[in-house]
Amino acid sequence: MAGVGFQRWVRTLSKGKISGISGLLPACRSGEILTYFPINIGEIAAAAKKYNIRVEDYKPIADNGEGYGDYPQLPDRSQQDRDPAYQWDHPDLRRNWNEPMHWDFDMFIRNRVDTSPTVVPWSTMCKQLFGFVGFMLFMFYLGDKFPAYQPVGPKQFPYNNLHLERGGSPDVEPEEVKNYEI
Amino acid sequence: MHPTTLMYTSSLLLMFAVLLYPLLVTFTSLPLNNDWASSHAKTAVKSAFLISLAPLSLFLSTGMEAVTSSWTWMVTTTLDITLSFKFDHYSIIFIPIALYVTWSILEFATWYMHSDPLMNRFFKYLLTFLVAMLILVSANNLFQLFIGWEGVGIMSFLLIGWWHGRADANTAALQAVLYNRVGDIGLILGMAWLATNVNSWDIQQMFILSKDLDMTLPLLGLILAATGKSAQFGLHPWLPAAMEGPTPVSALLHSSTMVVAGIFLLIRMSPLMENNQTALTLCLCLGALTTMFTATCALTQNDIKKIVAFSTSSQLGLMMVTIGLNQPQLAFLHICTHAFFKAMLFLCSGSVIHSLNDEQDIRKMGGLHHLAPFTSSCLTVGSLALTGTPFLAGFFSKDAIIEALNTSHVNAWALTLTLIATSFTAIYSLRVIFFVTMGTPRFLPLSPINENNPAVINPLKRLAWGSIFGGLLVMLNINLFKTPVLTMPAELKLAALAVSVLGLLTALELATLTSKQFKVTPLRTPHHFSTSLGFVPAIIHRQIPQLSLLLGQKIASQMVDQTWLEKTGPKAIANATTPLASATSNMQQGLIKTYLTLFLMTLVLVTLISAT
Repeated sequence: MAGVGFQRWVRTLSKGKISGISGLLPACRSGEILTYFPINIGEIAAAAKKYNIRVEDYKPIADNGEGYGDYPQLPDRSQQDRDPAYQWDHPDLRRNWNEPMHWDFDMFIRNRVDTSPTVVPWSTMCKQLFGFVGFMLFMFYLGDKFPAYQPVGPKQFPYNNLHLERGGSPDVEPEEVKNYEI
Repeated sequence: MHPTTLMYTSSLLLMFAVLLYPLLVTFTSLPLNNDWASSHAKTAVKSAFLISLAPLSLFLSTGMEAVTSSWTWMVTTTLDITLSFKFDHYSIIFIPIALYVTWSILEFATWYMHSDPLMNRFFKYLLTFLVAMLILVSANNLFQLFIGWEGVGIMSFLLIGWWHGRADANTAALQAVLYNRVGDIGLILGMAWLATNVNSWDIQQMFILSKDLDMTLPLLGLILAATGKSAQFGLHPWLPAAMEGPTPVSALLHSSTMVVAGIFLLIRMSPLMENNQTALTLCLCLGALTTMFTATCALTQNDIKKIVAFSTSSQLGLMMVTIGLNQPQLAFLHICTHAFFKAMLFLCSGSVIHSLNDEQDIRKMGGLHHLAPFTSSCLTVGSLALTGTPFLAGFFSKDAIIEALNTSHVNAWALTLTLIATSFTAIYSLRVIFFVTMGTPRFLPLSPINENNPAVINPLKRLAWGSIFGGLLVMLNINLFKTPVLTMPAELKLAALAVSVLGLLTALELATLTSKQFKVTPLRTPHHFSTSLGFVPAIIHRQIPQLSLLLGQKIASQMVDQTWLEKTGPKAIANATTPLASATSNMQQGLIKTYLTLFLMTLVLVTLISAT
């Protein structure tokens, strides 16, 4: 039994289509999982059918050696961006059954990244927010340079700076101490 | 043990027992009776409040504070962790207030959550949160405080995401957890520094042993923790998003108790901050920025709960400003008075929302002054207390803070921002009152407006008493640690009042615009800035998660294989050796000239090498 399986594996490997242990998977032998970048129209049509998209909409991800195979490049729109009023099969996910999933579907779920259009353009938002923060930091710097405080002065006592009360002699003329005028 | 200490610890123990008993009852397999929420949970909190009045009266009459350490948890050569409780001015006054407010909120929630099939679980979560909060407030070491800190964070997550079938509620709960986590980094950093440099997490020991050390780094950590928990600018978006939770949750967690935990931490650690000017300035500036920014955002919101949430954030900024002024006790006073009127504002909002069949948009309310007079009166009283109307609860704390701000040596821009935010408070408070209670109704006639249920009226009544007399009672009975500056020019004394009245008059003027028909108001940039909450959620919640998730996915699925196989592995070897091989084989052209050149070059190289 094991020998038969081993022989089939060797035969499949020698065909040169799949490598390694994935050859043991039944789907691999029939060529379901392993995908190649589609080149001719026949492969494109087959891939579009496999992923349940129209041939006009199908666009494979560019082959940069990253191993995407024939997975379609779907628009980078989040689930939050989809119509909330439409009768989706899965209303919480805003997705229909057997709809092609974006490669980064788990990033585009409603709890995560949202690509809905904003009220103002992205550049305006960034400029306004970071401009506001920068302005505040600058003003705090200025506020630190020119702080607000109540005027204070050194103490000034009456009766010639309390000359007699501090034990000064009545005969000696005390010196004038004037820190401020009231 | 001294009788007073015995009294303190036994009442705390009794309080914990009374609060935990309903929770333990739920662990049996017997089904709960229908009114468990009312008969067990609410009664437990009421009893706990009455019990907590005993240590409060003892403290007010004798002024005695206590620290008790009971059970030694772990002993290492450098660090000891014990179960220890601190019964000082702050915890003894805060616990009864928190329990009073919680009691009112739980009673309100018996009406608000009546139609919810999982109401008992809701009350269980609220009770667990309360126990965690009491642990946080009474902790004498940072480890115990951290237990309470995490507990309130987790319960906040569970309660915000109460209606977990709603994707927005889940997102909001996730936001709360993530932002609090960022703050927790700061707390853990501070704890780690203190453990390694001061070898203690005990409050008393830390204060003594850190006298001559440079405490900037741990204080920055603690300030980061407060920024996360108390929704200061930078880590603030979770607080308005937390309004996805039911109104009792917003009233309890996100106005009175949980969000003040960060400020409470800084108040507890204030002796460490007294001499560190960097930390104080940072608190002052951060608090001023928060209070102004969130007050600006509150001006244009249309959801009643969001307005009150931003109001809470603004008051938290004010508390941070007070800490930056080196006045922790005034910040604590503001925590206490704020709990009363903010909880009342939330309960009034909840009453209005349910009465109008779950309508939260203030543009679709109106005329409730005649239809729900008690609720609108409480809303008005709460808003007046919030704006610092003389001799209501908020006045005693808020006016004291503004006076301290005016008479201190402060950053002039922080002073300006705080005064502007105080006027904005009056503006958005009047906006709420105008849209909700005044004018003619803008909703359908058949709305289930109901004020007949004592479960609604009694909590509002209790909190109204607190909002009116709470400030006076607290101020009469405490001794201020730092002498306030009592002499100042009249302009400074009346500054808070003047600025609030100015805001009120501006808001009245703007409100009259609704009944007149002018030309179309052009859309202005500041309006977008305010409505979109300063674009902070739009930018931060899109950019950062996208970068990190995309990078994570790419690294995990593509880049690992690509790196090992193509950049450093077999293909890399091939890519490296192929040019070498092709260059070498290209050189074998069969031309004598090439071979003679190579021979000469080799000869020269050998000569050079042997010569050196």
